[in-house]
Amino acid sequence: MGKKVGSEKLGSLYTTGRVRRRREWRGVRDTLYDYWRWLHIMGILTKFIVKPRNIKAFFRYRWMANYLAAPMMVDRHTQGLRGPQLRIAHTEFDLVMEDIAKLLDNLFRGDRKIGNDEEFSKKVVLMDENEMTAVMMGFPTLKGLSRETPAVYVSVLLNQYAACHYIDVAQEFGLPGDVCPMPEAEAGVSIDDDFPVLGACAIQCNTTCDGSLMGNGVISKRLELEDGVPCFQLAAPLRHRQEDVQEYAAQEIRNAIRFIEEHTGEKWDWDYYFECAKRVNESTRHRMEWLEMNKTDYPQVFGSNLALYTETNYMAICGKVPEFVEADRKISAIAEKAYKKKNMVVKEYRHRAIIWGVQSHFYFDFLIWLQNCWGILPLTDMLSMVSTKMISEDDREQAIYDMAWLTENMIMRNRTHGGYKVLLDELWEFCEEFRADTVILWEHISCKALDGMHGQFEEKAREKGIHLIWVDHDLFDPRVISRQGIRDQVNRYMRTVFREEPLDPTLEVLTDEHSW
Amino acid sequence: MKDLKHLYFFEKLLEDAHNDLVRQAQAEGRRCAATVCENIPEPLLNLPGVFSVRLRAPRTGTTEMAGYYLTSFLCEYTKALLERAMEGGYNFADCMIAPDGCSMLNRCVENMELLKTMQKEVFFYEYMEIPMKADDNGLNLYVLQCRNHILKPLAERFGIDVSDAAIRSAVEEHNRVCRLIRQIGEYRKEENPRITGYEFHILTLATYTAPKDLLVNRLEETLEELKTRRPDAKKPWRARVVVAGSEADDVDFIRLIEECGAYVCADRFCYGSFPGRDEICLTNEEDALTQICRQYMYGGQCARYMNQAKIQERRSYVDRLAREYHADGIIYEQMKFCDPWAYERMVGTQVLREEYHYPVLSVDRPYAVGNSGQLRTRVQAFVESVELKKLQGGGR
Repeated sequence: MGKKVGSEKLGSLYTTGRVRRRREWRGVRDTLYDYWRWLHIMGILTKFIVKPRNIKAFFRYRWMANYLAAPMMVDRHTQGLRGPQLRIAHTEFDLVMEDIAKLLDNLFRGDRKIGNDEEFSKKVVLMDENEMTAVMMGFPTLKGLSRETPAVYVSVLLNQYAACHYIDVAQEFGLPGDVCPMPEAEAGVSIDDDFPVLGACAIQCNTTCDGSLMGNGVISKRLELEDGVPCFQLAAPLRHRQEDVQEYAAQEIRNAIRFIEEHTGEKWDWDYYFECAKRVNESTRHRMEWLEMNKTDYPQVFGSNLALYTETNYMAICGKVPEFVEADRKISAIAEKAYKKKNMVVKEYRHRAIIWGVQSHFYFDFLIWLQNCWGILPLTDMLSMVSTKMISEDDREQAIYDMAWLTENMIMRNRTHGGYKVLLDELWEFCEEFRADTVILWEHISCKALDGMHGQFEEKAREKGIHLIWVDHDLFDPRVISRQGIRDQVNRYMRTVFREEPLDPTLEVLTDEHSW
Repeated sequence: MKDLKHLYFFEKLLEDAHNDLVRQAQAEGRRCAATVCENIPEPLLNLPGVFSVRLRAPRTGTTEMAGYYLTSFLCEYTKALLERAMEGGYNFADCMIAPDGCSMLNRCVENMELLKTMQKEVFFYEYMEIPMKADDNGLNLYVLQCRNHILKPLAERFGIDVSDAAIRSAVEEHNRVCRLIRQIGEYRKEENPRITGYEFHILTLATYTAPKDLLVNRLEETLEELKTRRPDAKKPWRARVVVAGSEADDVDFIRLIEECGAYVCADRFCYGSFPGRDEICLTNEEDALTQICRQYMYGGQCARYMNQAKIQERRSYVDRLAREYHADGIIYEQMKFCDPWAYERMVGTQVLREEYHYPVLSVDRPYAVGNSGQLRTRVQAFVESVELKKLQGGGR
């Protein structure tokens, strides 16, 4: 117990219940910092909850109860962290928390069932959960809000069982149990009439997979036909690396912008767009710096600290919120300083790993477990390997193609679509670049696009002499494969193939089945 | 009823992807373009000098090898195709034109490519982007994709004439077969039909899997034969159903339904005659390619079309068929593990029940139905429920 990394036996903090035995002791300075940030998160929650409409929402929407676990979620993602990594984690997670709180507040303000602020609602454009929000970069007076993000996506990060009810609802309605639980749960929320209803219009997108595409049909049926919110389906091409689909993609963007203009009465603002584009580029440059650093012996922004923040910043924020660029700068500064000091995150680095595939949402902190338990460094993950292309900051025609490019290359989609090269071949290129000896391959069992390359992954890894550790899971549903079921797959490989002992043996088996 | 003269021939034809007519056409020096999806415009693969075969894997047993590459979670059609490809079952093909339609079919074909399953030296793969919405932008994409991924490679690699005139003549040939199938299918509207759903399914399937020009004579003879064919006096059917849903190329599937007493009066599924055997109407005001793509896009009933108008149309289309063919109920089927049709079946079933008031049987099924007891029981129970409703004066 102390300020040194690895000084706390982290498994001893677990109980069989929802919460931990006590807060982690990280030495005086880090503990105080962590506690101060914990208070900050409690402050965000308090500020949110004092509004009567938000209290009303707690009683109206089943999924809102999950937000009581918000501070615990940050604790899970900071386990074992000290010094710079702890500060990077809080810079990111606290900002994401604030952003989600704002999103919720806005949703309930316009929600016909809660705040019913009609004027505000007219300025809202609903977006998909897994959708690039590039088409909102030129509408400074409009709010692009996602209902699925707080209802489903974030909820599962907070409480592992959050989506189970909605998965069951969809299946009771007749959906087979083998589809991806993410669009399944989103469809379940819609069937259960548990989405806030607001907005002048909605932009849906064929995001990551067939399930996601089809789930949108269920949602738009209620949204468009029952709630009267017009929906535009933005059909981004699947084979996004082909030249001959780019004009089509660009036209889809033009059509989407026109649709928003028609339904909101607002005009596209190029100045604001280019302002956002500059921020997108700056964020990209920071991300590239972090990835470069991760190729060295002393990675600084990786694992949990890279994954969730990149997802939020790249896709949902997309240059629209200046605070995120400020956070990028702060993170880069901390990381550079730590890199110069050859700062290590755990006491021993044993394996350098690329995390590939679709991560389990109910166990998003698995990456931090990998490093704490086995000294496996999750250098980067599939969802963080998104576009690094600089977008135009002044050319209007090029900007349309840039938005199309970003939309085609939204997170996950840029790998699950586009042919096997982007999913299979580029993985081995990254292994080489990052000098990785191991691939942790999340096999989201109901992700058909990933499953379809199963044999190829295995054969190619064997051919290249890379350790491939399969980690099966069912994304949003811990009833199929539990958190311990996930850990066991790694434990088994580490003991039988690598013949290693864990860095922290107390983490090998955890009693977190009932935990948030 | 007396057996149709050519039924046995057609049935034999469907026992192997590399069937006698495919062999005959190749012996004549024609190229075989394989495909796996209804979204690839067929006439473009049937230009002079080339013919299309939509791949099936008849007599599929187990799919262990494909299961290793694709896992047990992928749709059984894709696993069966990959297994057959690995066994060398499609080595007769000269190229594969695959759409990036659904993820699973795409992965299936990609695995065929990565595993080097096709042995001909000239063999090539083309992957097409297919629009997901029916609109002008989608049409432009469709036309461009057909040009770049069908016409151009066929011309460059096999010297096929891809001119507008050649396309128009291919459409004519295509329409001839479509007309025949439609005319034969019309008999299914009769109260005591002179053709069974199974027989019709066999004829339709054959047109997807063999060179069309080599089938025409037998189809014409079958049509003639049907004109005077007499159904049994006592009709064996207890209910009439439309089968709607995903890929179904299994000859046993429709047979099983009909053995349970349900007459399949209309077939809206991939490999069915709706909308796959609709004629393509061409005018001289526009190039043939654009017109073909427009018809495929606006007429297509594929679940992956994502705009709400198309989604609604899919349900009204089934309703229209049910009314036109006097169906008592609808069987909504889905290939096990098919994502697009999983959602479509769920919502389609609810809508057709609640909004259109049809009795609907909603089932998922394996690729090779065989003598599936589960499916048989489900269909039998459905037939009984439809019968009961009719007896009680209920139903639609």
